[in-house]
Amino acid sequence: MVTVKINGKEITVEDNTLILDAARDAGYDIPTFCYQADLVGVGSCRMCLVEIEGQKKLQPSCVTPVLHGMSINTETQQVMSARSSMLEFLLANHAMDCPVCDKGGECELQDMVYKFGPHTGRHSEPKFKFHEKDYQLSPVIIKNSNRCVQCMKCVRVCREVVGANVLGALGRGDHQEPSSFFRHFLDCDQDGNCIEVCPVGCFMRLPYRYQARPWDLKGSDTICSYCGVGCRMVIEQRDGVVLRAKAQLGVGLNSETLCARGRFGFDFVNHPERLTTPLIRKSGRLEPATWEEAINTIVENVRSTNGAHIGGIASPRLTNEELYLFQKLIRGVLRSPNIDSTSRWEQNAVESYVAATGMNEGGVSVFDCLEADTVLVIGSHLSDENPVTDYIVRRISANRRMNLIIASPRAMKLDSSANTLLRHNPGTENAVLNSLALGVFAANADKLANNDSVKALKDSRIEDLLTLAGVKDSEINTIAQKLHASSTVSIIAGTEFLRFPEGTIGLAALKNILKSLGKKVLVMPTLDRANQRGAWEMGVHPNFGPGYSELREKGRGVDGMLLAAQNNQLDVLYVIGSDIASMYPEQELAVSALQKVKFLVVQDMFLTDTAKLAHVVLPGSSFGEKDGTFTNQEGRAQLIKKLLPTPGKAKKDIDIIRAIGEHFDRSFGPKNALLVLDEIRKEVPMYKDVNLLFNNRKNTENKLDNKASLVAAADSAALSIGEFKTKVERKTPDAPFQLVTGNHLFHSGKYSRMSRTLLGLVQGGEVEISEEDANSLGLKNGDRVKVRGRAYEATLTLRTKRGTKSGVAFIGENFDDAPIGKFFRRGDDIPRVGITKA
Amino acid sequence: MEKILLKNLDKPDAHKIENYIQYGGYKAFESALKLKPDNIIQMVKDSGLRGRGGAGFSTGLKWSFIPKDPTIAKYLCCNADEGEPGTFKDRGIIDNDPHLLIEGMAIACYAIGASNAYIYIRGEFAFGANRLDAAIKEAYAKGYLGKNIQGSGFNLNMYVHRGFGAYICGEETALLESIEGYRAQPRKKPPFPALAGLYGKPTVINNVETLSCIPAIIEKGPEWFSKIGPEKSPGPKIYCVSGHVKRPGLYELPMGTTARDLIYNHCGGMLTDKPLKAVIPGGVSAPMLTPKDLDTPLDFDSLAAKGSMLGSGAVVVMDESTCMVKTAYIVNRFFSHESCGKCTPCRDGTPWLTNVLRRIEHGEGKPGDVELLESLCTNIFGRTFCPLGDGAVMALRGALKNFREEFQYHIDHKRCMVSGR
Repeated sequence: MVTVKINGKEITVEDNTLILDAARDAGYDIPTFCYQADLVGVGSCRMCLVEIEGQKKLQPSCVTPVLHGMSINTETQQVMSARSSMLEFLLANHAMDCPVCDKGGECELQDMVYKFGPHTGRHSEPKFKFHEKDYQLSPVIIKNSNRCVQCMKCVRVCREVVGANVLGALGRGDHQEPSSFFRHFLDCDQDGNCIEVCPVGCFMRLPYRYQARPWDLKGSDTICSYCGVGCRMVIEQRDGVVLRAKAQLGVGLNSETLCARGRFGFDFVNHPERLTTPLIRKSGRLEPATWEEAINTIVENVRSTNGAHIGGIASPRLTNEELYLFQKLIRGVLRSPNIDSTSRWEQNAVESYVAATGMNEGGVSVFDCLEADTVLVIGSHLSDENPVTDYIVRRISANRRMNLIIASPRAMKLDSSANTLLRHNPGTENAVLNSLALGVFAANADKLANNDSVKALKDSRIEDLLTLAGVKDSEINTIAQKLHASSTVSIIAGTEFLRFPEGTIGLAALKNILKSLGKKVLVMPTLDRANQRGAWEMGVHPNFGPGYSELREKGRGVDGMLLAAQNNQLDVLYVIGSDIASMYPEQELAVSALQKVKFLVVQDMFLTDTAKLAHVVLPGSSFGEKDGTFTNQEGRAQLIKKLLPTPGKAKKDIDIIRAIGEHFDRSFGPKNALLVLDEIRKEVPMYKDVNLLFNNRKNTENKLDNKASLVAAADSAALSIGEFKTKVERKTPDAPFQLVTGNHLFHSGKYSRMSRTLLGLVQGGEVEISEEDANSLGLKNGDRVKVRGRAYEATLTLRTKRGTKSGVAFIGENFDDAPIGKFFRRGDDIPRVGITKA
Repeated sequence: MEKILLKNLDKPDAHKIENYIQYGGYKAFESALKLKPDNIIQMVKDSGLRGRGGAGFSTGLKWSFIPKDPTIAKYLCCNADEGEPGTFKDRGIIDNDPHLLIEGMAIACYAIGASNAYIYIRGEFAFGANRLDAAIKEAYAKGYLGKNIQGSGFNLNMYVHRGFGAYICGEETALLESIEGYRAQPRKKPPFPALAGLYGKPTVINNVETLSCIPAIIEKGPEWFSKIGPEKSPGPKIYCVSGHVKRPGLYELPMGTTARDLIYNHCGGMLTDKPLKAVIPGGVSAPMLTPKDLDTPLDFDSLAAKGSMLGSGAVVVMDESTCMVKTAYIVNRFFSHESCGKCTPCRDGTPWLTNVLRRIEHGEGKPGDVELLESLCTNIFGRTFCPLGDGAVMALRGALKNFREEFQYHIDHKRCMVSGR
């Protein structure tokens, strides 16, 4: 701790605190352009110059740490004149087109000139202009360099946080222009973080351009509804149209960053195809109806049905409150054990995943995870599935000594931050983890003699595991050595463990072995749906109740329900927000089964493929139209807030569920989301003390982690890890590629397909293989290719990636022209495909 | 005075290693390899050698800041980005006597424990860079570079890195950025390069002339060296004289030779019979001296006392036919063109100065322009990231201080006071 004087006020701060931060603590704000808490300081804008007694020159406070006994003045005549002179220099060549600038009204340059002057202009020379007209940098970014203040935050955020590294500076001196490589059109992550950090109107959102003035916007602090990271953001509307989503520095775990989905994918809220009225099937066609008719039809059809023949499926994008009420309705009122939240994953796979990652043990903060000596990322394509987690890992791993190990069949952007990469065959997470466990065991044979997990591994031969995983002995040994040498280990385990649940066995084994060696082990799941974890914790799963509680009787998951429907044993199916018909692996089965359901109720925002088969369609709400909470992948419960009313006669999902429930039980549910949350706190002990306040507040210290918002451990959980075996089709010369799927960087399930901005970022379906494979096939990036599997064939655009494992083909699950559900068959082996030029 | 740095300049083919060795080269390195590295640093400290790049920091002291831990990689970078207008001293050594530099660098590397050294040479010096490449190849062949040099167990690799034509690369941290492959812009200090320099490792950056002094110090001893020139900044100094003198060129003289002595004795006096008007003593960023200051010794401290600086030792002599407004304009245009763009005052301030100077020079000056220039100078000076902006201001301030009436004349009469046009 050091004591310094700031403007005569004595203050004690930690060693190496920047003068800027110390002054802020003492209550003096220092203006900055180039300083950003998450970026490496450069000290170039010179706005933050302060006077240090005994030093001749003014010093930049954003890069100068305090020293004991320093006496600093931040408000003297000289400092003030320095500020106004810097602004005068910045204005010298500034475009001064504030009336037509999108940033007008929230521009840092405007604000600072207003505050510090100069209030008269002396610059009468001709201004230097980079260009006459704004130019487009990408489908979502438009740029006007004449407004630039050269803080280079755009370049730095792109390199240091996003890792895309596509921006740099052209020219020199006053001709210096931060831009893409010679202003070429960008093929990047399109996340717009360069826009977010721009203090002026240089980088701009193209969709938002000329749409509104910031003072006309009404905003709402909410959580992004796409993946499981749980990014805090503000969505803003004008005249009922959502125009902008933005992140704020120091707010939420994402701070100023968002990904392309979060920043540009909100426009589905105002999509013209939103359902605005209930529909009832009359003589084969869906006809508009009133709410009363719709609810009455449902009640009539449900009342006489046996609970065992009823099923409920709710989307993991609903709020905890809605999901809780939904499970209360299905289990408590309709007396059905058949409830599920995802059509993609098998019910026992989910239970095993929850058990192996220890979700029932409470929330695990990503920031805690990254304090470990070794962080192993496995089974997750973080850079595409959870881009903001990717940013957090990159930013933190750059600033501390740690081992970052990435095990994935596909190359990803985060690879450049890793110390060790492992490219294993798809679906062989179990073999990788088991061989690592054996490696750790070999180094600690004496200590682990009686370990159960080791005993279970006794029969495994390391050679077999290595061949299966397609990795080298030396690679496994290197990683095992690192695990052995670390006292804290974090494992970030993604959705591949749900696709190939065999991996959960290995995950649990490795965790157990590391723990019994006295190491601190944290496992963080990564999920691709905003409230997937919340859905499970609210008990929307056939194997466990709210808070992972044990059930008297396990119900049917989506698989079981569809199978029952196929056999005419499902009379009523109530689906909220899930598009089973297009997302279920093995699409034909899903469609034919849904057609056989006697009474299908679909509640959604759009007339999805599933809704088209329904007998009653109920118009639901988007995340911008309701209040509630989401639980992110870490187990952090966060508030979402209503911005808009629901369109037309559409209603909040929570109100619809309650309206149905009240027809059967007058005392069914609390009146609003807040009261439901109170009930959740009572009924689900994990949520008893969860604090929801924190993330709404801006914290100037940029401490983004709040443990109070993490859910607690469950009291008792009856979870077990099942037995699984991943099988892959035999390799043939016609079909050498193993097919893997997941989310495309710009999409999240089919949900994001209703955002026109996101649709504009990627044209149609793509298949991604390694560059080496493409070369050997004589194909190149951008070619149209035929992807032929045993069950289906599609024509797609080829994308090549350097560093991906040979023999792996990836198709995102998001594209209509690449229906991944037609390549896969539930229960069958993982398909192989052949790729030929179309 | 006996020539130390330029001793081989007149000898035929001194750039070839056989000749260099024949003239007594690499003896200093061989004897240095028998000394302890710390002793060499002490010798350099004792010699009183100060950096010839411009800042005049004690070379021995700079070397002593390098951590002694043998497990940490260390680097030596030779700053051969000789970009200051009027300066051509390093080029003389590089082109004609490259082994002197290589020998000096080898000794320096041995002293600080570096096993990799870079010569950052400006892109325009293609000839010199080729000479250095050839000389390094010869030195490897003769066993003065490479592994286990002369059986001492000391390893050293040396590389020539060509710049791409930016003045800022002469700033030591920008030079490091450039070697690392980044955009050449200065880094923030601290950390100083002695602790975290090239690739984040301890690094010494020395000028060509500084390193070329090292063999002589080893060979003839620090005491001999410290007796040359003034006590506070001893040693030989290469002055590069250009402008209105009879014999411009390189002059190796004891540090502290006066301007008058240099111009009138060594350079043969003024070119024509027009009297001297001003002298820039150390490259264009050094404020100019007027005839009344001609007896100032040209060394670090004496010039600093006069409000100017020795800089690189580039002496630019101007006679009465020189228009100071035009001079100031050209010098300033250079700085604004070379501003790297990192910090606000230099990036946006120097072009503004240039624009105003251009107007004045072209007869479009307005009343108040001189005051505007002075005010802009105040706003730039001391607030820039690196000394480039300060240099621009110092040069302009020197001209404004001594020749203010010329600027005023340009503004009032819309024509030049000297040429009348």
